[in-house]
Amino acid sequence: MSIEVPIVKAQRARLIEDSHATPVRQSAPAYAASIQGVSKHFGKASVLENITFHVAEGEALVLLGASGSGKTTILRIIAGLEQPYTGKIILHNKDVTELPARERGVGVIFQSYALFPRMTVEKNIGYGLRIRHRGRKEVKKTVNELLELVQLQEHRKKYPSQLSGGQQQRVAIARTLAYKPEVLLFDEPFGALDAQTRSHLRREIRALLKKVNVPAIFITHDQEEALELGDRIAVINSGHIEQIGTPAEVYNNPASEYVATFLGAANILEGAIRGDRVEIGSALIPALSDAERFREGEPVKIIFRPEDVALSKTQFPSGRACISVGIVEETSFVGAYERLRIRLEPAGCATETGETPFYLTTETPESQSAKPIIATRPKPETLAVKLSRGDRVFVGLNFFTILPKSTRTR
Amino acid sequence: MSTMIPTMRHVRGFDLARPLSIGMLVFMMLPLVFLPLLSIFIFGTSKGLSSFWSALTAADAIFALKLSMVTSFWATVFNVLFGLFAAYVLSRHNFWGRNALIVTISLPTAIPTAVAGVALLMLWGPYGMLGRLLRPQGIEVMFTASAIVLANIFVTFPLAFGVIKPVFDTMSRSLEEASATIGATRWQTFWHVTLPSLRGAIVSGALLTFARAIGEFGSTIMVSGNLAGRTQTAPLYIFAKFNEGQIEAANAIAIVLALFSFLIFSVLFFARDWLDVD
Repeated sequence: MSIEVPIVKAQRARLIEDSHATPVRQSAPAYAASIQGVSKHFGKASVLENITFHVAEGEALVLLGASGSGKTTILRIIAGLEQPYTGKIILHNKDVTELPARERGVGVIFQSYALFPRMTVEKNIGYGLRIRHRGRKEVKKTVNELLELVQLQEHRKKYPSQLSGGQQQRVAIARTLAYKPEVLLFDEPFGALDAQTRSHLRREIRALLKKVNVPAIFITHDQEEALELGDRIAVINSGHIEQIGTPAEVYNNPASEYVATFLGAANILEGAIRGDRVEIGSALIPALSDAERFREGEPVKIIFRPEDVALSKTQFPSGRACISVGIVEETSFVGAYERLRIRLEPAGCATETGETPFYLTTETPESQSAKPIIATRPKPETLAVKLSRGDRVFVGLNFFTILPKSTRTR
Repeated sequence: MSTMIPTMRHVRGFDLARPLSIGMLVFMMLPLVFLPLLSIFIFGTSKGLSSFWSALTAADAIFALKLSMVTSFWATVFNVLFGLFAAYVLSRHNFWGRNALIVTISLPTAIPTAVAGVALLMLWGPYGMLGRLLRPQGIEVMFTASAIVLANIFVTFPLAFGVIKPVFDTMSRSLEEASATIGATRWQTFWHVTLPSLRGAIVSGALLTFARAIGEFGSTIMVSGNLAGRTQTAPLYIFAKFNEGQIEAANAIAIVLALFSFLIFSVLFFARDWLDVD
């Protein structure tokens, strides 16, 4: 069942190449970190397949993936704590693939922070310099600077166990900054913290990174975290990169169904390519982009976010992409916006021909029958046009992504 | 109402089970532990402190105590270093025969001490497998202080290992990995990161080993030759003096050994928290 349609692979390859071709900063001649064709197997199980990506100077890249996707292994390979089967790790133009962890000059912020429990905060921060046999004065000066940077001056004599999670994390960062790392690697940096501290620390770390201008690679399974932390996001799924791009690119133009559903909510309808348009059931709407990627008549998936659904009680003015009519099944108030569950009707917007159900989502087998889509509306709209259960609405799409219809991986 | 009764008994009445159970525990320990220990002190001081002191300062007595201390010290040094090394190897590496090695290391405490003595004699003794070859070279291992150290090492072999290994096992690998990524060599990581975390285990392993070694009798008597003033340890001295009927002399040393182990176990009991404090 895990047969991939070749076109998906080809397309994925193209997307990955695209992201190589366009470095974030054209002026930078080289990448701060470059991971080239890294593969890894444990026994017969393939953990990583041909992972390639680059991190520009000062850039923050997030490796986003579910647990077991291999993202931690990538980080450990960059750090030198594990060896890849194939591929190269290049840090600032230097091939470090064969170097042991201690000679790579990489800063790892472990999920548990891994602060040395028998050392005070200042001893922890100065560790990297002491083992490099730097002079006392230099160590003291650097430690003082870093304590100021992470604002822990008054905690310098404390032991890690006397600090809060956020403070421990700052010590861990300062400890790596002391020896001017080539790149910072954060392993699930906020996993051990509560939600409020998390969002606070995210902003703090982002500001800190901009200040010290050290490239960083984050690992997380939290999409919200990824969107907020990353200059770019690489979505990892079972050992390969599904897509790399800026948060907006990845969110708005997902390269695969996996990316679409992993980053936030996504509705999926099926349709087919008709010239420069997409046929969704009885509706024929203009394809927003790159319809030329597909063959005429090729079955495709139309992916759209709940906020990209346009709802109207009356027929849309001509030109708007109306796809169907639907019945509001449920409305719920979710703070900043309203969420609606809408069951699309077999009949299209314009005609009343009563064709067979044209759409199906690919999530479950029973989705062959009509499955509702989710739409959200911002507050002003909910106040202007009130919708409630049982209302009949016209459903349009402001924005959508077309992907080839493929047998699902796994 | 029935649920009220137990609570009432605790709050207002007197719970008899508590003092009874505590009293019974102490009473049971009285003839088994307290009285025997107490009696050596009572007997030892019954003829005045001066006779106790002269028994203690007898040349052979002082020699026996010194010999016990020195041989136990070297056995402890060896076994702590060995235990550290063995624990490191066995908790860091997984290999075929690992469990067999762990069992073998732990075996010596389960073997009767007299058997340990015989085993050492069969190897190092004048007619032993190795001793036979060493004797013509003029090297005699048995019936010397070295033999006592060997016997002590044998019977206390797994004690330090047994204390250190669990700490190694539970120690987070990420500490050592962090140290490596920061740029430390293996040795620096061991010295600055691993060893400090093992401080408590090393001290308690050493004290346990020392306490056990200083009281060793069964194997020592077989391999040492039990020569007063030459290869007689404190426990052997006690036994010898008792056999000669010099009960005060035996008792004086017994008091010293008893106090000594009491001291060691107090340190173990009260200092562990301090040593393991993070």
